[in-house]
Amino acid sequence: MSLWTQSIVSGLLSGGIYAMMSLGMSLSWGVLKIINLAHFSFILLSGYFTYQLAFSYGWDPFAAILVCVPVFALAGMALQWAFDKLRVSEFESLLLTFGLFIIFESIASTVWTADFRRMDTVQNPYQSQSVWLGDIALPVPQLAAFVVAVIVAFGTRYLMEKTDFGRAVRALSQDRDVARAFGIDPHRVAMRLAGLAAAFAAIAGVFIAMSRALWPGLAVEWFGIVFSVVILGGLGSTLGTLIAAVIIGFVGGVATVVGGPPMAPLAIFLVLIATLLFRPQGIMGRSSI
Amino acid sequence: MRQRPWLGPAVTLVVAVALWFYPNLVDAAGWPIFYLLFAYTVFFWVTQASSWNLFTGFSGYFSFGQGAFYGVGVYALGVLVVKRGWPLLPTFVVGGLLASVLGLFIGLVVFRLRRLRGEIFALMTLAVAFVLGAVARISPTIDGGQGIPLSSVPTPDALGTHPQMIFRLGLITAVLAVVVVQVVQNSRLGWGLFSIRDDEDVAETLGVPTFRFKMIALGLTSFLAGLSGAVHALQVSYVTIEEVFNIRVPLMVILMSILGGTRHWMGPVLGALVVHTMSDRLNRAGLEAVSDIIVGALLILMIVAIKEGLYLRMRERPLVTAIGAAVGVAAGFVLGPLDSAVTHLAYTLLGAVLGAMVPVGRRRRPQSGAPATQTIEEVVGG
Repeated sequence: MSLWTQSIVSGLLSGGIYAMMSLGMSLSWGVLKIINLAHFSFILLSGYFTYQLAFSYGWDPFAAILVCVPVFALAGMALQWAFDKLRVSEFESLLLTFGLFIIFESIASTVWTADFRRMDTVQNPYQSQSVWLGDIALPVPQLAAFVVAVIVAFGTRYLMEKTDFGRAVRALSQDRDVARAFGIDPHRVAMRLAGLAAAFAAIAGVFIAMSRALWPGLAVEWFGIVFSVVILGGLGSTLGTLIAAVIIGFVGGVATVVGGPPMAPLAIFLVLIATLLFRPQGIMGRSSI
Repeated sequence: MRQRPWLGPAVTLVVAVALWFYPNLVDAAGWPIFYLLFAYTVFFWVTQASSWNLFTGFSGYFSFGQGAFYGVGVYALGVLVVKRGWPLLPTFVVGGLLASVLGLFIGLVVFRLRRLRGEIFALMTLAVAFVLGAVARISPTIDGGQGIPLSSVPTPDALGTHPQMIFRLGLITAVLAVVVVQVVQNSRLGWGLFSIRDDEDVAETLGVPTFRFKMIALGLTSFLAGLSGAVHALQVSYVTIEEVFNIRVPLMVILMSILGGTRHWMGPVLGALVVHTMSDRLNRAGLEAVSDIIVGALLILMIVAIKEGLYLRMRERPLVTAIGAAVGVAAGFVLGPLDSAVTHLAYTLLGAVLGAMVPVGRRRRPQSGAPATQTIEEVVGG
C-alpha cells in the first residue's frame, strides 16, 4: 500500500518538472506558431550547464538558475529573431529546429560524452533530502520543481491576463494583422515571448540535473511526454498545461507501479491517443490566453 | 512527363535489369566486396527516402515516423523468422504489412481532426518510435531488452552469396519503391496529394477524397518502409531496441529528401546517393563526431536557401552542374590518393552539388525600400 501511495505521489510531483518542460513549448506553439524542437536541446544543455557549474566551480545547483535563465532566454530570443528574419512557416520551423536539435545533441555528446553525468551528494546535497509527509517521502528537487512550476504557471497566467504585454500576445495570437494595425510590434512581442519560453526550458533543465542523471539521448525521451502534456493541456493554455502535467505524471506513476518503468511511456501515449480521439482541443477547451 | 507516364518506370526497370548483373561484374573483375555492400546501402536509403517522400513530399504532412515503420519491419523479421521459424520471403511482406497497420492506425487517429492535423501528425510520429521501443522492451516475445541475434538466419541460395543476395534484395525493394512513387506521381492519387499539399481545405471543397488519399499514401509509405526494414535486418547481425528505434532513420530520410527535393521522385534518389556517399567517406576519414553537425547544418541550409532541392536545381542549370562534376572528377585525380571508386564518386557528386548551388543567374532580389515589390514577394514566397 505504501509503495502505491509513494509511487503515485512521486508521479504527481514529477508533474512539476513536466509542466516546467512543457510550458514554454505550449506558449511557442500556441502563440508564436513555432514548433520548437530546440526547446528540448535548451532543457538538456541547461541541465549540463548546471552539472558543469557544480562540478567545476562547486556552485549550488539552485544558483545555476541565475546563469542558465539569462543565457537561454537570450538564445531563445536570438532564435526567434532569426525565424522572423527568414520568415519561416510553421512546418519549416519544425524542420529547422530539428536540424538545430541534432546539432545540439551531437555537441552535448562531444562535450559531455554519452556516459551518464550526475552531480554527487556534495555538489548536490538536495538529491538525498526529502520532506516527510507521514511515511511518504517528497524528494526536495521534485518538490521544489513542483512549487516553482505552480508559481510560474500562475505568474504566466497573470502576465497574459492582466498586463499590456499579455494583451499584446493575445491580440497577436488572435489576429496578427489587426494587432499590427493597433500599433503592436509583432517581432518584439514574439522575441520576448520566445525568451520567456526558453527561460522556462532553462529552469526545467536545472531541476532535471538536480533530480536525475543526464545523458544526450534523454532529450528524445521527452518528446512523448511533453507533446502529450501540451496537447492534453490545450495549446497555449498555461493552467491547462499545469493540470495536464500533473495528470501525465500521475498516469506515469501508476503505470510504473503496475508494469515497471518501461510501461510509463506506453500509458502516457495511450492518454495522448485518447485525448486526440475524444477531446482534441485539450482539457482547457479553447486556449485561455 | 505527364504525357508519357510509362517512361519513368520503364527506364527504372531497364536500369534495374542492368544492375542485376553488377555483382557478377564485381566478381569477374575481382573488385572488393565493399562495392556491393556500399551499393546495397545506397539502395536501402533510396528505398527509405522514396518511401518517406511518397507521403510527406507529395501530401505535405510531415512524418518523423520512418524509424518506427522501419523498426517494425526489422523486428518482424527478427521475431517471426528467428524466434518462430517462419520462412524468409513471406516474412518480408508481413513486415511491410505490419508497418502499414501502424501507419494506418496513426492516420486513423490524426486525420479525423479538423485543426492542426499536420502538426499533430508530425509530433505523433515523432513520439511513436519511442513508444514502440518501450513496448518491445516490456514484451519478452518481441525483445524483452535482450536484443535478437540475426546472423543465423537461413538465406536462399538462388540469389548468390550473402553479399550478392543482400545487393539483389536491396535492388528489388529500391526498384519497387521508385516505381511505386513514379506511378503515384503521375496518377490521380498523386495529383490529389499535391492538391492536399497546396491547400487541403480547397482540395476537399473541390471534391478530392482527402482522407482516403492520405490513408492510401500513408499505407504505401509505411509498407515500403517496413519491407525495406525487414530486408535490412539480414544485413544487421544483432538487433537492439536502441539501434532500431532512434531518430537516425527519420533524420537521414528527411535530410536526403529535402536535399534532393521533395517534389519529384528523383529528388530522394539523388539525395540518398549524395548523403550516403558523403557520410560514408566522412566516417571512413574518422569524422563521425562532426558528421552529425554537418547533417544538421546542411538541413538548415537547405530549408533556408534552396527550398526546391538539388534535383530541380540541377535540371534548371545542367551546364554549371556538369562543370562542377567535371571539376570534381579532376579534383579527385589531383587530390588523390584514390584508394577507392567511392572516394572518386564522392568528389564527383560534391563537385556537381556545389556547381548546382553556385548562385549564378539568380532571380534579382527586389530593391530595398520598395514596399509594393516586397509585398508581392511576401505573397509569392509565403
